[in-house]
Amino acid sequence: MDVLTVKDLSVSFYRPEGETEALKQVSFSLREGEILAVMGETGCGKSVLCKSILKLLPDIARIKTGHISIRGEEITGYSEKQMQKLRGSFFSMVFQNPMTALNPCMTVGEQIGEAVRLRRPELSGRERRQRVAALMELAGLNPSKDRIRQYPFQLSGGMAQRCVIAIALAAEPAVLFADEATTALDVTVQAQILELFLKLRKRMGMSIVLVTHNPGVAAAVADRVALMRGGELFRIGDVEEVLEEIIHSHNLT
Amino acid sequence: MKKLYIVTILHNVGKFVLSVFLLSVLVFTVSRLAPGDPLYAFYGERVEKMSAAQQEEARERLGLHEPLVTQYGRWLRGAVRGDFGISYQYKRDVKEVIAARIGNTLLLGGLGFGLTFVLALFLGLFCAWREDRAADRIICAIGTVTSCIPEFWLSLLLLLVFAVWLGWLPGSGAYSVGKEGDAADRAVHLVLPLAVVVLGHLWYYAFQVRNRLLEEVRADYVLLARMKGLGGRQVLYRHCLRGAMPSYLSMMAVALPHILGGTYVVETVFSYPGIGTLAYESARYQDYNLLMVVSLLTGTLVIFCNLLAGSIGGRIDPRMRRHGGADGWEVKSR
Repeated sequence: MDVLTVKDLSVSFYRPEGETEALKQVSFSLREGEILAVMGETGCGKSVLCKSILKLLPDIARIKTGHISIRGEEITGYSEKQMQKLRGSFFSMVFQNPMTALNPCMTVGEQIGEAVRLRRPELSGRERRQRVAALMELAGLNPSKDRIRQYPFQLSGGMAQRCVIAIALAAEPAVLFADEATTALDVTVQAQILELFLKLRKRMGMSIVLVTHNPGVAAAVADRVALMRGGELFRIGDVEEVLEEIIHSHNLT
Repeated sequence: MKKLYIVTILHNVGKFVLSVFLLSVLVFTVSRLAPGDPLYAFYGERVEKMSAAQQEEARERLGLHEPLVTQYGRWLRGAVRGDFGISYQYKRDVKEVIAARIGNTLLLGGLGFGLTFVLALFLGLFCAWREDRAADRIICAIGTVTSCIPEFWLSLLLLLVFAVWLGWLPGSGAYSVGKEGDAADRAVHLVLPLAVVVLGHLWYYAFQVRNRLLEEVRADYVLLARMKGLGGRQVLYRHCLRGAMPSYLSMMAVALPHILGGTYVVETVFSYPGIGTLAYESARYQDYNLLMVVSLLTGTLVIFCNLLAGSIGGRIDPRMRRHGGADGWEVKSR
């Protein structure tokens, strides 16, 4: 069974000036343990797609039609309370800019610890610290005392992103959204982070939705690629097939 | 680490002393350059009946004939030893005059500050949480209108309604005659002045809290916090408030003298016997010695609070800490 299914999802933003259609009848499904790259130009609705699945859109946005289900269970009508439970456990997300995604006033340890506490409230303080250290190691951070007590502004971009990833992993998610997770990083760090994603998928068996506009990134790690344009998801298929089509269409024009 | 800490303290003390010194020079010069004759404060109407020679003699006795620099030098020598001279108007040691009044001002200002601090935080949080909903809009509208009303006018309005029309509350003084020690009586007298002090300042700070929080709410890290499974309100309390607190505390530290000083107008309107009425009178009657001390007192408070604001901000906002702060970690240089 597919871990996530989206069917005919339409989302609009309602502003005083009128309605803006951000997603138009988007359908796709995500398989267990799959990495799906969602590609498209800026403003085509990639981020809105992730956020509407997670119900993290601003108040002015509304899901007009469509269904979202996880492992066959419909979650379209879930309340905020129910979504909160899902966000910390079933879904997780890594953001584009790690430097702003972390709370600047909290230490690395506190931020990862908070995520652990929300996911596993039954853990004792000591167990929680152990779990934080384990997560940091998993994300490729050295869980030294100094590192744990550092603030985000003391980290490099790559380390900050690893910290965000550790937070995301604390949720032990079935589906991880990576919204341009490597775009803000320099190329060598990008490669390391992508490698980390591959390793994590293998270890934890989670599915990853990788939003990117870099075909290289998609080619390196994705199993399938979805293409978006103007709020529509117009093509989804195996990575080689779709990327080849793109190359051909660009050569023709 | 220890050494750096001491250096920081010395640095701040030095700044403090220098600022107070400059302030004293400024107040001294400006008050003496302002038009008016201090002899009026000392002798009242009698000055007009005095001959020019008598006036000259009186001036000499008060040391007002010397050049400004000499006068200032003499004042400074006395001030360092704790002798601030006598008040021309009250003919008593300046310190005594102020000591008799300062308690009243501290009570009014302190309570006003405390209430403003707590209520502004509470209102700001509430409005940020209910952003753009009905409750937020109503509070914002009330606040905008109220904060536009000048303090003296608001005082008069409240006086008219509660003291004159309704007769519920006393309109002037700090206590009824003969009831100096009665706490309940003092409390009743405090209500109106306190209401004006709080209403006059509350909204500004509440809006600041609200807007700071809304800025924080729009920050990227809120999304990550919500991804952890936190609800909107929890994110506000646990994450956003933390980001907004340093600037709120710094702001309130700066606001402390502002609110204490804001009691001056209120005191005058309600004839409340505090430093405010004293400042007003001393400036009006060229009571130099008194004016100097009142201004310096207020100024010292302002300077002290500003320094305090900086160090508070630095202490709770990790981004503002210097090398080797209290925790002993190093800020990475880039």
